[in-house]
Amino acid sequence: MRKCYFDHVATNPLDSRVLDEMMPYFKEEFGNPLSMYELGSKAKEAIDNARGQVASLIGSKASEIVFTASGAEANNFALRGIALARQNEGKHLIVSRMEHHSILNAARFLEKSGFAVTYLPVDKHGFVDPDTVKKSITKDTTLISVTHASSEVGTIEPIKEIAAIAREKKIIFHTDAVATAGNIPINIKELGVDLLSMAGHQFYGPKGAGALYIREGLRIVPLIYGGIQENGRRAGTENVPAIVGMGRAAELAREEMGSRAEHVRRLRDKLINGISNVEKIHLTGHLQYRLPGHASFCVEFIEGEAMLLLLAAKGVYAASGSACSSKALKSSPVLLAMGIPSSLAQGSIVFSLGKDNSEEDTEYLLAEFPQVIKRLREISPYGKGWGIKGEGGECIVQK
Amino acid sequence: MKFVEDLKADVTSDIVYMMCPMHLLKLEENMRELDDGQILEIMTDYDGALEDIPGWCAKTGNEFLGIKETEDFYKFYIRKSGSTRPEKVRK
Amino acid sequence: MYSAKVMDHFTNPRNVGDMPDADGVGTEGNPTCGDVMQIFIKVKDGKIVDAKFKTFGCGAAIAVSSMITELVKGKTLEEALAMSKETVANELGGLPAQKMHCSNLGADALRKAIEDYRSKNKT
Repeated sequence: MRKCYFDHVATNPLDSRVLDEMMPYFKEEFGNPLSMYELGSKAKEAIDNARGQVASLIGSKASEIVFTASGAEANNFALRGIALARQNEGKHLIVSRMEHHSILNAARFLEKSGFAVTYLPVDKHGFVDPDTVKKSITKDTTLISVTHASSEVGTIEPIKEIAAIAREKKIIFHTDAVATAGNIPINIKELGVDLLSMAGHQFYGPKGAGALYIREGLRIVPLIYGGIQENGRRAGTENVPAIVGMGRAAELAREEMGSRAEHVRRLRDKLINGISNVEKIHLTGHLQYRLPGHASFCVEFIEGEAMLLLLAAKGVYAASGSACSSKALKSSPVLLAMGIPSSLAQGSIVFSLGKDNSEEDTEYLLAEFPQVIKRLREISPYGKGWGIKGEGGECIVQK
Repeated sequence: MKFVEDLKADVTSDIVYMMCPMHLLKLEENMRELDDGQILEIMTDYDGALEDIPGWCAKTGNEFLGIKETEDFYKFYIRKSGSTRPEKVRK
Repeated sequence: MYSAKVMDHFTNPRNVGDMPDADGVGTEGNPTCGDVMQIFIKVKDGKIVDAKFKTFGCGAAIAVSSMITELVKGKTLEEALAMSKETVANELGGLPAQKMHCSNLGADALRKAIEDYRSKNKT
């Protein structure tokens, strides 16, 4: 049976060249970068080299990169670190409703600790309106965080405009670039952000390594206390192999970004066009301003987890924002924030392509997916004479 | 403790919120860049620095000028007049 | 996540379909929070002789609907009502904890179908 991995927003397979780079640091070069002897200094050199590679990916200085264990940690570090560092200047934070739960939950925790948080609404495409950001700013605002792109619906946010507004008001601006770094070009000077989160496993690197770009001169309270790793900003013996892997993956991503993006974009568009032939199926997000490999839909009358299971039985691996497919049994808050009725959000399905997907993979999906939909619609009470009874708002249709 | 006002520094180093012992590591790194006679202003919130920085100055022969307290952190002033290596102290 | 039996009843569900001449119809669930099950029964001499279902929901929901409509065939109305949600889950080889609510849904939809039949056939 053919196996097609269409869940690259969840994680990416490790590039073999990255694994080769990492191997010595699992074996003979096992030193602790803080150790005095050669074994240690070689490990230190390796992570410093990786730091430079990651910095080059986003156009920053190496000293502005702090390695973390994940993108979620980088997000927590940014939010909590800046909120606490600036709490004497103000205790109001602004985040969008498109954020990953590592931002949303960190914000909620800060709310409980005495901060005020504004959760920015979004339009039906998932866009944050820079004007809305402007209107939400108060004299107490110290931090704004808006994701570079949503891994759920692929929408790429107007970060440059929002960063300019933040800068004008002297407010720190953070962006979660976990879905974009290594996949679309990023230059922190052009974007104008103060902090930026990344994760290695989103560009064919290993899990266990993430990074936070912190603009030089910015004060931030550490998340993890302990020794002096990462210049006294993030303690803990470094995950040398993973960091080395992230560095190499960043280097390859920078070199191959153009061709990779073109490849997935072509397959993505083929998928979107092909799937749009099925009746009562809606593209979520925006047709133009979306991640190059991202195709997300809401299918009327059927449920996401059921679709995933039937697809998996055919060797196709994807994701869904439906309540049943989440361990917490909650519908994706992102879909709901976009105004999609929760009954339609139940039919969410997300395909995210990568460099390893082929033309044949796409054709296979286009052959199997309509069958899956047909099968589940036969079982569903909806469709024939029964409409979807959702609450308010039209179905989000994007053609 | 010596308190100072309006001291003009040649170099400023902001290590506020960086964890101990960055206040000593950065201090040494910063002092190495200074010429003799120049003044370093180093900013940290770490309370342990109140003891550590004057202590480092005494060990290295650099002149500890004093501190200025702000609401969130301390500013330490040191004039370069000695080395940047503490003399060996057996612990 | 799912047992082999659940997967079987999900990929090859029994008794899918409408029943325009059903003696009792029970609908349970809420599309805004998750699943919706519709169970149709045909009753003769106090026994369920046929059962069908339509379900909007996840793998567990479809599997539960399939299993429950299989189990009730040939049972008296009282026997069917006595069937607990645990019975259905057990017959399926168990359900993950967060999916147990699907077996509740099945039992409730069946109960409603029987009540519907009874209200139409007041004896």
